[in-house]
Amino acid sequence: MTTLRAFTFNFDICYNNYGIPFYLQYLAHWPEYFIVAEAPGGELMGYIMGKAEGSVAREEWHGHVTALSVAPEFRRLGLAAKLMEMLEEISERKGGFFVDLFVRVSNQVAVNMYKQLGYSVYRTVIEYYSASNGEPDEDAYDMRKALSRDTERKSIIPIPHPVRPEDIE
Amino acid sequence: MAARGHVQDPNDRRLRPIYDYLDNGNNKMAIQQADKLLKKHKDLHCAKVLKAIGLQRTGKQDEAFSLAQEVATLEPTDDNSLQALTILYREMHRPELVTKLYEAAVKKVPLSEEYHSHLFMAYARVGEYKKMQQAGMALYKTVPKNPYYFWSVMSLVMQAISAQDEKLAQTMFLPLAERMVEKMVKEEKIEAEAEVQLYFMILERLGKYVEALDMVRGPLGEKLTSELQSRENKCMMMYQRLQLWPECNALSYKLLLKNPDEWQFYLSYFDSLFHLMDKSWSPPNEEEHCVEGPVHTTVAEAVKFVVDRMEEEDKKDSRPLRGPYMACLELIHRLRQRGCPDEEELGDPLELMLQFFGKFGDKPCCITDLKIYLHLLPPEQHTQFENRLGELVPLGEVGEDGFGFPGDTKALQRHLCVCQLSRVLGLQHTLDTEGKLCLITELKAHYHYGLQFGKSCLKTELQFSDTYCLMVAHVYIDLWTETGDENMLWQCLGVLEEGLSYSPSNAQFKLLLLLLFCRLGAFQPVVDLYSSLDAKHVQHDTIGYLLTRYAGSLGQFAAASQSYNFSLRFFHSNQKDTSEYIIQAYKYGAFEKIPEFIAFRTRLNQSLHFAQVRTERMLLDLYTEADITSSLEESVKAMGLCPEEDDIPWDNMRDNRDLTVLFSWDPKDRELTEEHRRLSLEEESVWLKVRSLTLRLLASLALLGHAPSKRNSDKTNENGVSAKSSTLQTLLSQLDLTLQTAAQITEKQTQYPFLGPPSSRLASALSSGSCHCQASALQLSLTLQELETTGLDDSSELQTQICNSFKSLIVQLQELLSRCKGDVLEMKDSRLMTQPSLLETLVFFVEPVVLSGFQEWTGSLQGIVTQALDHVKGQEASLTALKLAALTLGVGHAQTQEECGFTRAAMDKVQTSYLGSLQELGDLLRKRADSLKSLKF
Repeated sequence: MTTLRAFTFNFDICYNNYGIPFYLQYLAHWPEYFIVAEAPGGELMGYIMGKAEGSVAREEWHGHVTALSVAPEFRRLGLAAKLMEMLEEISERKGGFFVDLFVRVSNQVAVNMYKQLGYSVYRTVIEYYSASNGEPDEDAYDMRKALSRDTERKSIIPIPHPVRPEDIE
Repeated sequence: MAARGHVQDPNDRRLRPIYDYLDNGNNKMAIQQADKLLKKHKDLHCAKVLKAIGLQRTGKQDEAFSLAQEVATLEPTDDNSLQALTILYREMHRPELVTKLYEAAVKKVPLSEEYHSHLFMAYARVGEYKKMQQAGMALYKTVPKNPYYFWSVMSLVMQAISAQDEKLAQTMFLPLAERMVEKMVKEEKIEAEAEVQLYFMILERLGKYVEALDMVRGPLGEKLTSELQSRENKCMMMYQRLQLWPECNALSYKLLLKNPDEWQFYLSYFDSLFHLMDKSWSPPNEEEHCVEGPVHTTVAEAVKFVVDRMEEEDKKDSRPLRGPYMACLELIHRLRQRGCPDEEELGDPLELMLQFFGKFGDKPCCITDLKIYLHLLPPEQHTQFENRLGELVPLGEVGEDGFGFPGDTKALQRHLCVCQLSRVLGLQHTLDTEGKLCLITELKAHYHYGLQFGKSCLKTELQFSDTYCLMVAHVYIDLWTETGDENMLWQCLGVLEEGLSYSPSNAQFKLLLLLLFCRLGAFQPVVDLYSSLDAKHVQHDTIGYLLTRYAGSLGQFAAASQSYNFSLRFFHSNQKDTSEYIIQAYKYGAFEKIPEFIAFRTRLNQSLHFAQVRTERMLLDLYTEADITSSLEESVKAMGLCPEEDDIPWDNMRDNRDLTVLFSWDPKDRELTEEHRRLSLEEESVWLKVRSLTLRLLASLALLGHAPSKRNSDKTNENGVSAKSSTLQTLLSQLDLTLQTAAQITEKQTQYPFLGPPSSRLASALSSGSCHCQASALQLSLTLQELETTGLDDSSELQTQICNSFKSLIVQLQELLSRCKGDVLEMKDSRLMTQPSLLETLVFFVEPVVLSGFQEWTGSLQGIVTQALDHVKGQEASLTALKLAALTLGVGHAQTQEECGFTRAAMDKVQTSYLGSLQELGDLLRKRADSLKSLKF
């Protein structure tokens, strides 16, 4: 059980991984897309952060999952699925055609979880994640799930050839 | 930075290369190119500004500034110059100059939407809310777009929030904002959701909850669509404010039926239920209880509601939700609080918790959930509870070591949960020494056994059995603090080092190791541990104290300096970051975020830790650098220290430290309390006051001591000197008062939980005599100063006074030094013993010595410094001679060969760190001794 609430910008931020400007940028632009889950004892269980972007005319208007994180103690409770469901609902209301996200190809656990939630690999993005300490850069899967506005589910027809990060929008 | 405007503009073409050079960091070439261009086109102002940017970036601030002002006084209206100046001023940290720039531009080009909008943002950057309100309005009049109008409204709200006088907010700013919105509502001009949000914010701040509620429920509320359940959440909030308990209850009920896992609505459901019961509320008519639907008014209804929710979960094939089961315990808790006998209807808490454990015991969060309701069990049931839980843990056959182990990670998690519960219930604490050692053996066996489940774990993942290891460490700490047996501490360090070797990302291992090394006075290993924690942004404030509390006090000056810098860099960047995003929030209409951003910034600016590192950083520089590499006066001037100014927000100090960052499973009576927090903040604040006064006194002394032409000064100069010496006098008496307060505080001898906040340096600073030494040295300086102004001839009394103070200071220093004597590390009966307090005292000795060195008397001081140096040398020698390898480990308590290895490694780290501290202290003393010798009388 969880209290799901809009993210109020405060010291909760200290358990997260990005720099403060990164969060501020999202909060200033898409506050509704930032949701945290809190345990009855007040512990921060996890959060999701996203945005809406893309051209409506080209049917590319969509919700994007920027970050999804669940604290180790609160895993295996279905919290990630719940947060994803909320982000999808918000994107539905905004009239998005689909929701997408990027995930490391090596992160099999996450890829499988997203597949279970109805996402499929739309394309591979070469060397999307730049690595530190001399290891090679890693590819990402761009995974998508069609929303109700995309009745023919055109947005998720996979692109067979991998693309480079500079070619994605 | 790109040149805007039209491609055809020949100036753009001319400026392009300079932009490119600047973009590529080639500032020299940018300057040259600008000069070349200016020779041909004298009036190309933007080239001047770009040159100024180049100058600024190459450290020529003054030149850059005057060049920029040349252009600014011309009040430019071309895009290029304006943008370049904006960038330059921002880099100079002079955002207020941008406002001047656009004020002039708007005057000259009053119809420019762009300049008006820049002006608004420039005001936003410096927080000039009133001017923002006007600029927003002017913008709206120029271009009647809704967002501009609401920028102005929001600026009124900001004036209300920032008003010192709450009355002014309530009677002027907010009503005006409300009227402005109402006007738009009447004219049916409301367009965006953001505008409705803002309206709601205003009504809420005005306490007009009925109006706010009507608005949310009405047609305007329909615009609230982005956020999920936005209308429901706002209604709920208003029901609570208005104490409309029937509506609150009915809405909670409705929302819980939809999502039986939403904890906050159980709380509002119970809250409202009991309020209604207290008021003996009954529905006005049977059909419709209230606008939100049916209302519950009896315990029986609540019990049935909760039981039904649990049954729903029991029936489900999919994963059950925890909410209903927790709600059941919460309801019992509340009924018991009210002395209501009906709790039996829900069942026995012990059985309910066992049931909960049966369902969720294999989840790591089970412990955090159950912990909240353990008080529902009477103490005599605790052992029974532990045993019954144990029956629900599937363990394998008992082996020859007497333990049975879990067969998979789920069973492991269950077993772990029982161990944790047993500790939370205090059952581990009541064990005697023998019992605790047996417990350690058992937990260690489980730890090692469990490692097999995590063989394929990545380096970034935690081992399933890590928590056992952490619990072992906690039991060792119990033993160490109870018996004083340092062996327990060494083994504790060993087991944590071992844990870290299998699970290198475990932050809890690192934090506990870090804490233990600090308590041991060994700072060197802490540096690596902290940096491997990869602390990010706010963490520099929340957990930075773990590092900065000890760095300087243990004589690791280089590391101290580095750690202060880490924190300071974060605090300084915060200021700039938030301003940018406040502006973004205006642009996107995220109005409710703006006060949040500002509150966050304020909280950081008022941080205790920020004030501490700021002060300690400067003190450290003075102690280690001044009069060695540069004169005290130069150092003080370079820091921009002004003794008259106190920039610490004493009345609004925010304690942002995360004092529960280390896991603890201690029972309630051993946990950190609010009183602990209060006392710790009090202690730290007084210590900070001592330090900040010392710093200001030093600054005052430096500026006074080196005042020009003291003897033959004209009147004004004399006044200057005496004004300064009265500052010194004021600060000295403040220091005196603070030391008295400090003495009262240390008398309390507050003990914090081991995993709670570290004690401040206050107690040892006082007991070592260091504080009083410093105060004496400073007082002496003041008297010496008086002597200089009085002149040698009429001052026999002063001279005697000086002579006596000097003698007494030397005696104080001598005493302080004698408290440093002893061995920081020694081997006794094949046991390793530490006395880290000696190290801390030595640092306390060095500070006033350094301070005294600023004065022009030195003979006896030299003697003491030599003695201190001899002591340090002696300690270094005996430390180096100490061969830890000769220590036989594992005596008394069985440790495997591997475990001994980890313990030995920890011991080595401590030894090396002590040596490092001594070397740094020795170096500083030697430098001080040299500068003393070079002084001439």
